[in-house]
Amino acid sequence: MKKSQQRDLFPGALEMMILRTLKRQPLHGYALVQHIKRTSNDLLQIEEGSLYPALQRLLKDELVKAEWGISSTNRRVRIYKLTAAGAKHLEREVSRFERMLDGITRVLARGES
Amino acid sequence: MNWFKQLFSRGRLYHDLSDEIQEHLDEKIEELVAGGMSREEATHAARREFGNVTLIKEDCREMWSFPWMETLWQDLCYAARTLTKTPGFVAVVIFSLALCIGANTAVFSALNTVMLQALPYQQPENLATIWTTQKTDPGSEDLPPIAEVIDWKKQNHVFADIAAIGIPDRVTLAGLGEPGLIQFQTATPNFFDLIGVRPAFGRVFRAEEIQEQFQTVVISNTFWRNRFSSDPGVLGKTFRIEGMVSTVVGVMPAGFTGFAPWYSSSTYGKATEVWRPVNPESAQYAKRLDHWIMPVARLKPGVTVAQAQLEMDVIARGMEQAYPETNKGVGEKVVPLYDTLHRGAKDQLYPLLGAVGFVLLIGCVNVANLMLSRAEGRRKEYSVRASLGASRRRLMQQLLAESGLLTCIGGSLGILLSFWGIRLLRVMEKGHPDAESIRINGPVLLFAAGLSALTALLFGLAPAIRASRPDLNDALREGESRSSSGKRGWRTRYLLVISEIALAMVLLVGAGLMINSLLRVVLPSPGFDAANVLTMAVNLPWNEVKYVEKFSGKDMERVSPKVTALHQQLLERVTALPGVESVGMISIIPPLGAGMRTFSILGHPAPSPGERPEGSFNEVSPSYFRAMKIPLRKGRYFDERDTASAPWAVIISETFASRYFPNEDPIGQLILVRYAPQQVDEERPRQIVGVVGEVKQMGMGGLHPLLYESFLQQPEVFRGGSEFLHLYGSLVIRTTSDVRAHEADITASVKQMVKEMDPDLPVTDVSTMDDVLGNFMSGYQTYVIVLGTFAGIAVVLAAIGVYGVLSYFVNQRTREMGIRLALGAQRGDVFAFVSKLGLTLAGTGLAIGVALALGLNRFMAEHFWLYHLKATDPATYAAVGIVLLCIALLACYIPARRATKVDPMAALRHE
Repeated sequence: MKKSQQRDLFPGALEMMILRTLKRQPLHGYALVQHIKRTSNDLLQIEEGSLYPALQRLLKDELVKAEWGISSTNRRVRIYKLTAAGAKHLEREVSRFERMLDGITRVLARGES
Repeated sequence: MNWFKQLFSRGRLYHDLSDEIQEHLDEKIEELVAGGMSREEATHAARREFGNVTLIKEDCREMWSFPWMETLWQDLCYAARTLTKTPGFVAVVIFSLALCIGANTAVFSALNTVMLQALPYQQPENLATIWTTQKTDPGSEDLPPIAEVIDWKKQNHVFADIAAIGIPDRVTLAGLGEPGLIQFQTATPNFFDLIGVRPAFGRVFRAEEIQEQFQTVVISNTFWRNRFSSDPGVLGKTFRIEGMVSTVVGVMPAGFTGFAPWYSSSTYGKATEVWRPVNPESAQYAKRLDHWIMPVARLKPGVTVAQAQLEMDVIARGMEQAYPETNKGVGEKVVPLYDTLHRGAKDQLYPLLGAVGFVLLIGCVNVANLMLSRAEGRRKEYSVRASLGASRRRLMQQLLAESGLLTCIGGSLGILLSFWGIRLLRVMEKGHPDAESIRINGPVLLFAAGLSALTALLFGLAPAIRASRPDLNDALREGESRSSSGKRGWRTRYLLVISEIALAMVLLVGAGLMINSLLRVVLPSPGFDAANVLTMAVNLPWNEVKYVEKFSGKDMERVSPKVTALHQQLLERVTALPGVESVGMISIIPPLGAGMRTFSILGHPAPSPGERPEGSFNEVSPSYFRAMKIPLRKGRYFDERDTASAPWAVIISETFASRYFPNEDPIGQLILVRYAPQQVDEERPRQIVGVVGEVKQMGMGGLHPLLYESFLQQPEVFRGGSEFLHLYGSLVIRTTSDVRAHEADITASVKQMVKEMDPDLPVTDVSTMDDVLGNFMSGYQTYVIVLGTFAGIAVVLAAIGVYGVLSYFVNQRTREMGIRLALGAQRGDVFAFVSKLGLTLAGTGLAIGVALALGLNRFMAEHFWLYHLKATDPATYAAVGIVLLCIALLACYIPARRATKVDPMAALRHE
């Protein structure tokens, strides 16, 4: 379990980020990693490989679907798309996350005063 | 996606994933190269940033699979593959496990059936036997006189009732098809009620139903089925037992076989077929000399055996005063019925139990040792796998699969083995009435299998756990791994081997003592020439009016001259048969027994009543000694001079002569013989005319003082049932050539002759003398073989243990050996170096084993039948010690030799 603690902030965080990214546009794995890294300003030091088990998990739960296609750099890539179930799941997770974050922030703020 | 689809689309899924990851890496590399990195650097960087590809793939795969099932299958396949690569190891582990499980299940199942099950009687825990005991020998358990049961019944307050059952006996049956022998027991009428078993139909006999020439009997279900074809109209039918007319009044339920007290060896455990009544109140028993019934009592509810014992102690003191002649110094002893009936089985099974327990221990130790060595040897493999990212759980799972597979195979073989073992035990315990019902006992099987499985798992896993969190660097470095098992690992391994050898030594001592006893019994000559002798019994019935006339109300019988005439005529006719060289007759053939006679020597001071000299007595025909080729030491054999009217003569054995005539010539001495319990001497003295060689008459063990009388010189009137040796006659027929060639013809002729003389007379116990001797010890022999087998298994396992540890030692020290050799050590030195370790281990184990065996010697002395042998017999200890050392040496030899074959260059280049 050590490894996943290192690469995830909390269980499900990586999945949430993937879903959020895919909501904007379908992407293949490499682009997905790069996007997450870039948008987080490289704050999240995730192992690139750890993306794949998360993707597989999402695939299995049918929250995303994948298709082989050709990328903009003319590579044969597997492009991931959000499914309807995935979109719903993301909404739920995000609101849950926000509530949690809210709670954590309050606690931290009180602790400071 | 449902699981079914998953199952079939998985191949594609994995394939996609690999492709995808490869593309990912390629894209990254391209990008990095475009950013100005060299391709080589870029490849490394991409890999580094991606993480462990294999592990990630595995993670992904697990997501799609049924992890436990698949990994289990995987592990099993892998285990099977690795195991087949080390067939020797596998064979030894499976062999050990199978033996442990098999042997233990068999023996414990037997124990369970024979001993742990409640007796099949009503509230058996309240049943007890009452023995009399000599106060000078508190361990003794004797049968009380019949009449005593009446006194006890009247005087006690602790027993609900007291019944009595006779020693089982073989008796002749006539008037019901072919005459033959049946198993027979006498019982007081209340016996059946007391133990709570009622006839299936009909009724139990009554005390008054035993008359001089008539009795009622109850028959067993088997007897009813075999002899009466389950005829429902059997009640009221009659047959003759030993000539006495017997009327069937009841049939017992199926499965009721009667009591088999442990001490009656010839009939021990044989199912009783017919019960007849005895009346303890009969005047016949008033003299209190008849010791042939075993009292069985039912305790009143709430009364313990100890309380009953206290009461019986009081009664015993009263009896001593009331009957000083018979009861002086006699106590009573209350023993739970269970103990009485199971003593024989206990004596047999306890040592076996100990033996299989030891085998189980040794087997487990062996398995532990082997698993340990194997796992240690694979530390590097584990380290590599761990460093490649295998989780500890995964490693352990895989080892579990391996141990599990071994245990399963070993266990299944063990179960097969226990089936076979139980068959063997049934044969061995065939005397016991429950022998046929010995079945595999589930819990026992689980216990043995569980224990050995646990050992395999525990010792297989321990190194894996250690290996799964090693300092990877350390373990991976070649040199380190060679000596990494550490001092503690070795110490464990040495301790295991030492304990194996110690346990094997104890077993060997036990088996050795018994083998030694057996040899002491079997090897010396029985005192006669058994080759080409055929024997058969023509025993006349003791209740047949034709032969025996009873004196009403007196404990005396007049035997008709017809008896001697019949035997004599038979002897003459058999002598004339073709193929017969010589014929003799004796009441009971050696080594099956004799009667007891006390005597006084005329001209010597009269012995006091308790210390009368004794002899083991048989009647013989004058031709007996020549037919048996028993050598004459002094004087003469019986001959034609010794007729009924001539002065009575006796012949004695050497032991008799040396014991009772130590300083004088026995020839010509006169003795007055007496049937032991009676107080009356024979009417005439007998003169000792000859001394003959020793014969093993009373079993194959000790030599007893033997006394032979001619069957022609016997009184007319016998007392207290002593006529039975006169009625008994076994022919010993020496054939001119191989006895097997003549056996059938002679037997048929003798049967025909006997039938002509008396159609109701059976010819029984037809056998060659060689077989008689062989069978006599066969039970003990089987026992020795079984115990010896266990000891053998133990030794083999221990040897494997020594071998395993030494080969591991040599493997681990190859480099050291190489250096030693390179530095000029001779091959002999290396050989000595390795064997010294082996012998030190063996020696230590041996010493501990000897100490253990000495500690157990009292157990051995109590439970083993040791003939003229102390349980601490130094010769036996020395012999088995040498055997064990030799085997250990042999086990050292191969690894030690291999050590000398180490090529110093190869061993050093490995560095």
